[in-house]
Order: sequence, then C-alpha cells, then structure tokens
Amino acid sequence: MENLQMLFMGFSVVLTVQNVLVTMLGAVLGLIVGAMPGIGSLAGVALLLPLTYKFNPTTAIIMLGSLYYANMYGGSFSAILLNIPGDSPAVMTALDGYPMATKRNRPGQALFTSNMSSFTGGLIGMLILTFMGPALADLGLKFGPAEMTSLLLVAMTSIGWLVGENPTKGVVLTMVGILIATMGMDTLTGSPRYDFGNMYLLGGIPFTPFVIGAVGFSQVLKLMSERNKKVEANLTQKLTIKGSMLSLHDVKRLLPPAIRSGFMGTFVGVLPGAGATTGAFLGYAMQKAFKSEEPLGSGAIEGIASCESANNAAAAGSFAPLLALGIPGSGTGAVLLGGLMMWGLNPGPLLFSSNPDFAWGLIASLFLANLLTLFISLGVIPFLIKILTVPVKILVPIITVVCVVGGYSTSNSMYGVIIMFLSGLFGYILDRNGYGVAPMLLSFVLAPLLESNMRKSFIISHGGLGIFFEKPISAFLLIVLFAIILTPVLKFILRKVRTAKN
Amino acid sequence: MQLKKITSQMVIPVVTAIIAVLFIYLGITKYGFWHDTRGPLPGFFPTIIGILLLGLSILAFFGSFKAEKTSYPIENWYPAIGVVAIMLATLVIGMLPSLAIFVLVWLKWFEKYNWKITIIGLVVIMAIVIGAFVMWLGVQFPKGIIYNWIMY
Repeated sequence: MENLQMLFMGFSVVLTVQNVLVTMLGAVLGLIVGAMPGIGSLAGVALLLPLTYKFNPTTAIIMLGSLYYANMYGGSFSAILLNIPGDSPAVMTALDGYPMATKRNRPGQALFTSNMSSFTGGLIGMLILTFMGPALADLGLKFGPAEMTSLLLVAMTSIGWLVGENPTKGVVLTMVGILIATMGMDTLTGSPRYDFGNMYLLGGIPFTPFVIGAVGFSQVLKLMSERNKKVEANLTQKLTIKGSMLSLHDVKRLLPPAIRSGFMGTFVGVLPGAGATTGAFLGYAMQKAFKSEEPLGSGAIEGIASCESANNAAAAGSFAPLLALGIPGSGTGAVLLGGLMMWGLNPGPLLFSSNPDFAWGLIASLFLANLLTLFISLGVIPFLIKILTVPVKILVPIITVVCVVGGYSTSNSMYGVIIMFLSGLFGYILDRNGYGVAPMLLSFVLAPLLESNMRKSFIISHGGLGIFFEKPISAFLLIVLFAIILTPVLKFILRKVRTAKN
Repeated sequence: MQLKKITSQMVIPVVTAIIAVLFIYLGITKYGFWHDTRGPLPGFFPTIIGILLLGLSILAFFGSFKAEKTSYPIENWYPAIGVVAIMLATLVIGMLPSLAIFVLVWLKWFEKYNWKITIIGLVVIMAIVIGAFVMWLGVQFPKGIIYNWIMY
C-alpha cells in the first residue's frame, strides 16, 4: 500500500503542465526516432540528451524516460510495414507483423495489435516495477563496498560477455571503457591522472559528446552504405485509424499472450545484459508452446502480441536495477544513468529515500508515457508511411548537424566536437570489426563507482582479497560472475568435443 | 610460408594492448600502485584493468587470424570529411554558416536534390539548430575570425 501511496505522490510531481508536455514531446520524438529504420533507441537517446539541459533534473529524466519507452513502440512500425525492424527488439515483430500487413492485408490491425500489446506489457512491467523497485533498494541498503564491487563486476561482465557474438571482444571494450573513464581526476584523492599534460583532458572525457559520437555519429557513417536503398511500403490500402480497429475476437486473441509475455519480459528486463531484445525473443519462443489461431510466422496476432508485450515489459523492468541499484541493464540504460549522474543524482539504494520525488516521479512518468504513447501511436497511423520513407540521404546531413551542435553545446567549446568526432570514428571502426559499443558505454559510466568501491574494500581489508568471499552476498555474486564467465567457455569446449566426435 | 595480410581485426587488439601497457606503465611509475598505510593509490585500479586488457587483447589478437577482412567503403567516410570541413570552416566563418553550407553542399551537389528539396531541408535543419540550440538552450556558437575582425 505504501508503494501505491508513493506512486500517487509521484503522479502529483509529474502532473504539471511542463512535465506532461515534456512527456508528450519525448513520446513523439521517441516514436519518430524508433520508427525510422537504422537510428535505434541508443542513438536516439544519445542525440537528444543535450535538449534536456534546459530542464530541471526530474523533468529532464522524465523526457529521456518517455523517449526511451516510446522507442519500443516505434521500432515495430517499420518492422510491420516495411519488414525492416527499426530496432533490434522489433526483429521478432517483423516475423508476423509483415505477413499480417501484406499477405493478410491487415496492416492497420497489425499496428493496432502491436500498440495494444506494447501498452499491456509496459503496464505489467510498470506495476511490477512499482513494487519491486523499492524492495530491490532495501536489499541494496545491505550492500557495502565489497558487495557493490561484486555487483558491478557482474553487471559489467554480463553485458560484455553475453551481448554480441564474441565474448572476448565485449570484455575488451568493457576494459577500454573503464580506462577511458579513469582519465582526468582520481575518484578518491582528486589528483590529476592520465591527462598527458592536456588542460582539457584534466576534466576527463565528457560523457555526452563521447556518447553522441560513439553511437550517433558512428551510426551516420554506417547509414551511408544504405543511402541508395529505396524504401517502399508494399501496401494495397490506405492506412486510417478507423480501418485499423481490432474486432472483439482480435482483442481476445491478443490479451493472453500479451499478459503472459508481460510478466516474463519484466523479469528478463531486470537481468543485466538481457534487455528488450532478449525479452522479445523469449516472448515469441514462449508463445510457440501455446496455441495460436493461425500458425506463427504467417501473420498471427498472437506472434505480434507476444514479442511486443515482452519487449516493452523488459524496457520497464530494466528501470528497477537502474533506479534501485544504479546498475543499467543495457547501453541505453547506461546513457540514462549517465544523464542522471550529470544532473547530480546518484541512482542506488538511497535514491528512493533521499530523492523520493524524483524516483517516484520517474516511475509515474513511465505510466503517463505509456498511456500518451498509445494514443499518439494510434493517432500517427495515417502518417506512418510518410515518416517511415524519409530517405536516408536526407537523414545523414540532419544527424551529422545534430551531432556537431550536440557535441559543441555540452562543453561550449570545440573540444566537445573533437571528442564527438573521434569517438564516432572509433565507434564506427569497432562496429565494422564486430565490437559492439554498448559494453564500452556501460563500463564508462560505471567505472568511477567500481573504482571507489573496490579501493574502499581494499582499504578496509588492508589489501586482502578475503573481504569479497567472507560476506555472503558478495560471495554469491562472485559465484554468479564465475558462472557468467565460464558459460561461454564451457559451451565452446562442448562444441569442440561434439565436432571432434562427428 | 606466406605471411597473412594485416587486417584491422588484428590492428584493434594491438592498439588496445598498447593502451593497456601505457596505462600500466604510468599507473605504476607515475601515479603509484600501493601504499602501506594509505592502501591503493591512483594508479591501482587502472593498472589492474590494464593488466586484464593486455591479457584479453592478446587473446583477441590470436582470435583475429580466423576473422575475415573488414571492408571500409569509401563513401562511409564522407560525413567524417564533412565534419572536419565544418570544424575548419567554423574557425573562419563561424559554426552556423558552416553548418548551413555543409547542408547545402550535401543536398544539392552530393545527393543531387533539386533546389526545392534542398531549400526545404536547409530550412528544417537550421530551424532545429537555431530553435532548439540557440533560442531554447541559449548556446553561443563560435562566430569565427571574420566576424570577430569586423566587430572588434
């Protein structure tokens, strides 16, 4: 009951004219960025980060939260209408969404199904977040430096080790991100470190230009290969809101998979390294075990509902560890965390007690964003084809200009533009060679926290490693850490053994 | 025996290994690793991470022999050239005119759009920049040598 009271208090924070308008703006921008193939939530949130500087921290993060959340809705639009997923979680949506739009000639209903399922999954995720977030924070209060060190190691390793095809590359970039973050000032003593005699490096590598470059500008360079592709919708009918309505029978088909996947997706979202993409894959896989009126893959409502509900629930669920423990579950979560830290807010166990207005305001804003995004996403149905077919040729100069002015505006100097440019080239080269940048962003944000906790642990233990194994929570987390590290190694050995046998 | 061609898949772990060695060296020699009474010093954490990175870079280097050669299409670098041009032009004519010229050149001469689309594109982009960044956020963009020379 107390949590519900706090949630209502959160609504009193959110329901101001400015915050509602900002939530709407975030929802509209998130839908557009998510719908346009090739941009994605990570680049979208990074590119729009400078726009939030004008607001107070609560309003700023409300906008980013709604933007991230609306992205999950938008990603499915291009998957359904063009068979091009706007974001990785929408890959599964295309399997049934596109056949439903083209073969079954029900594009509006496919979009409606996607929107309704996203709303249902998101609502379930947010309700669970309302109760689980504070409980997780209470658990976090028991964490000392040793436990926090172990937890941060688990979070960083799981992202680096589990995301992407090559675990070694993921962990290499995790380490690179940590080293970049150590440049500037020492976290405990404040003495200069790795500044190489450069005045600008003394302040460290600024977060926003670094992120804008690594994900935004590198995306522009990647998009260049696709600029001559013609994007056309293979639809025979005009999209209208009236013509997109679902029948009662459709709603009856939609709800059971959406509810099941909503619960499952939320718990997937809480796990570091899993996130919305894994949620969507598991949601779809789970639906295979249940009965569908039409076979999955042929344009079944159940197929769209299962993955769309799961990915939105996972997006909501990922806020629980982010707010309660300060641990983001994905690259986009890392950008949100970086944004929070920029405004002087330190997510973690104390956030719910020291900044309840902010923590509950953000959770309440997610409920509001979910509702507003549903209405906006239904309202934009008639205009979707125009939004989705904006040529990449026009997007390239727009995003390039936003990257340059975004890089400049954060530091009010060309230093920001240079950092954006160099990190963009770095991100592009890494991407071409199979190194995803998400682990680097996550470790860049979490490194100061890891360093201060690790050093405090060693000061307490006078240099002994035993402190990490003596405390039960820390010992458990270290077991998890070793399990994460050993799983791909064991899989590799097993594969080799099987190949040798064959 | 024919030497395998050097690819960027091999260069990346070599670069990360060099970075690791640099951080380890400076961590131990310049910033200090451990003090008997004060415990870990500023070089402690980067040195440990550097050692891990060095080990992983060696692993990634040997793994890179199996990887296929990566291609870098020349056209993918054009926006990077554009940003360098914007940075240089900013010093002379300021950032806003540089951005406007970049958009104009890109849409009209590089993408070969007609004047109508070019002007619409230019107006939309400059409206975003001036509306959101200059008027909303109050960012003072650099005005360049020529402006400063005329005004002061």
